[in-house]
Amino acid sequence: MRAKVASTKTGPSNVLSGLSRARRGVGLGGRSEHQPRPPRRFSNRAITLSLMVFPSVLLVILIYGYPAVGAVIQSLHDGNLVQLGPYVGLQNYWTDLHNPVFWHSVRFTVVYCVVGVFGSWVVGLGLALLLRRRMHARNFFKTMLLLPWVVPVVVTATSWNWLVATPSSPVPRIAQDLGFGQLLFLDSPGLAQFIVCVYKIWLSYPFMMLMASAALAGVEEQLYEAARVDGAGAWQLFRRITLPLIARSTYISWILMFIFCIGDFQSIYLLTGGGPVSSTSTLVVLSYVTVFGDFQTGPGVAIGIIMLLVSVLVSVILFRRIKKVQVS
Amino acid sequence: MSNPIPVAFEEGPAAPRGGARTKKTGTSPQWRYTLTVLIIVLVLLIPVFVTVMLAFQPQLQSTSHSHFTLQNFSYVFSQTQVLTWLRNSLAVTLATVLVAVCVSAPAGYVLSRGRSRAVSGYALLLFIAQSFPQIVSVVPLFVLFAKLNLDDNLLGLAIVYVSSTIAVATWMMAAYFDTIPVALEEAAWIDGCSLFKGFVRIVLRNSLPGVLSAAIFAFLLAWSDYLFASVFLRSDSNFTLPIGLQTFFSTNSTEWGYVMAVSVVVMVPPIIVFGFLNRYFSIGGIGGSLAGH
Repeated sequence: MRAKVASTKTGPSNVLSGLSRARRGVGLGGRSEHQPRPPRRFSNRAITLSLMVFPSVLLVILIYGYPAVGAVIQSLHDGNLVQLGPYVGLQNYWTDLHNPVFWHSVRFTVVYCVVGVFGSWVVGLGLALLLRRRMHARNFFKTMLLLPWVVPVVVTATSWNWLVATPSSPVPRIAQDLGFGQLLFLDSPGLAQFIVCVYKIWLSYPFMMLMASAALAGVEEQLYEAARVDGAGAWQLFRRITLPLIARSTYISWILMFIFCIGDFQSIYLLTGGGPVSSTSTLVVLSYVTVFGDFQTGPGVAIGIIMLLVSVLVSVILFRRIKKVQVS
Repeated sequence: MSNPIPVAFEEGPAAPRGGARTKKTGTSPQWRYTLTVLIIVLVLLIPVFVTVMLAFQPQLQSTSHSHFTLQNFSYVFSQTQVLTWLRNSLAVTLATVLVAVCVSAPAGYVLSRGRSRAVSGYALLLFIAQSFPQIVSVVPLFVLFAKLNLDDNLLGLAIVYVSSTIAVATWMMAAYFDTIPVALEEAAWIDGCSLFKGFVRIVLRNSLPGVLSAAIFAFLLAWSDYLFASVFLRSDSNFTLPIGLQTFFSTNSTEWGYVMAVSVVVMVPPIIVFGFLNRYFSIGGIGGSLAGH
């Protein structure tokens, strides 16, 4: 990947040899490739590099590692936010796994992630493709289309709320005028789930659009012309040329969006608070509500730990796959 | 900041290629696309327009749209602590951006140039950190920060924000550094530059778009966070804007005019930042640097 990018900037031979030399730590300053770099010099490099990552590793350990251990401990104890209660073993997990709301949240988390990832991908890719066409004020439009992602979620959740929440809000009134009857968007479980998913797509398509247009920028126009000469239709061009060429970037954008969706707290919490009757609770929201709403710290944190285990497992697997995709 | 490498890097690794800029050949398809996109933009941005409209409308929802007023803004600025919250938000966000850039730039360099198992391990660590559900760290961090007197404190919040931006910011930096030929640093090393000096003087100096991308990302994240701020901050003089905005809902009848006026205050800074800097912003390249090399 990198060699490819770099080679467009300077001569390929030059960079490639530089790369391979650097990779083997083979030196500069006239040393030939057969003479290995003296170990001391090499470890200097290693020390500098380690110092350069040190602050971020420290922060990751402080803000992720330490709390993870703390949370595991907390999930094994009774008690509240301030005071750790007696050790109860796995009872908090037991409570969660026998709670129907938990399983409902698991199901909705899956739905939310799938809709969030693929819905926003379809919209984002569609817009990215449209923005490739020749048009006026393209950059202006592009910036405008990114606004749902730029404007803070607190603000857009508020305005979505205003648009759909009460019977006198604009969207329910329009729906009524169109003959759908009185729809209480955020008061009936099914509709609330629908709105939350639409809202998530609306929030996330800009990210997908950015990823897609970056990938599309690398697709050569000539390929299409050649295929058009051979009589391929628009769908075929898309299916056989565009999609395969952006496959790698698409895959990575799905993974990232999946990670963003599964950990997403504020867009659901600020729009519906997880309600009505927990219908729009994902695991994150359920965990928050259990800890800070029901004051059941143990079971709430246990939900977080279950999520943590699943996320880490999934991300390690995905990470391996990304590495493979990158190599091929 | 002078830029010894001209144009070639200005666009970022993944700037979309503007479609063929040929001469206008019959305006109709061009106008058709423009119109299509215009309509899409107008529909998609309804929630944003609504916010602005209501902010400038007098109280009482039913009044006609023709009335324009600044009364909502004068109320929230004079009667509530919006200015304090704005200051708090700015302080936390700018601190986050600054520290996040300083931490992630060298880390991104290692991710971009490093070629060892340790670097792979670091890449995996970042990936796990990014997929770490923040909800897990909220409670233990709250307990820890309470002991350190960092709860209800903007500094504590900034520390958390920095670490939650680190992964993406580092990937963005690395993605940009990837576009800068190693040959340039090698030349500097030959001239006697140390590894770190080579990084600062050669790579970082030519990576303004990469740095700005990471900075913008950190800005947006820190500015709009609700989760940590809602748990950590208790006294309303310490609130950031998103938490402050929520206080307007606690009354029995929500005054939408005030809510929307504050909403406008919340959304203007990120829009300004993004509006001015978006030509530098590129997130598309991060795929290449995710897993290291």
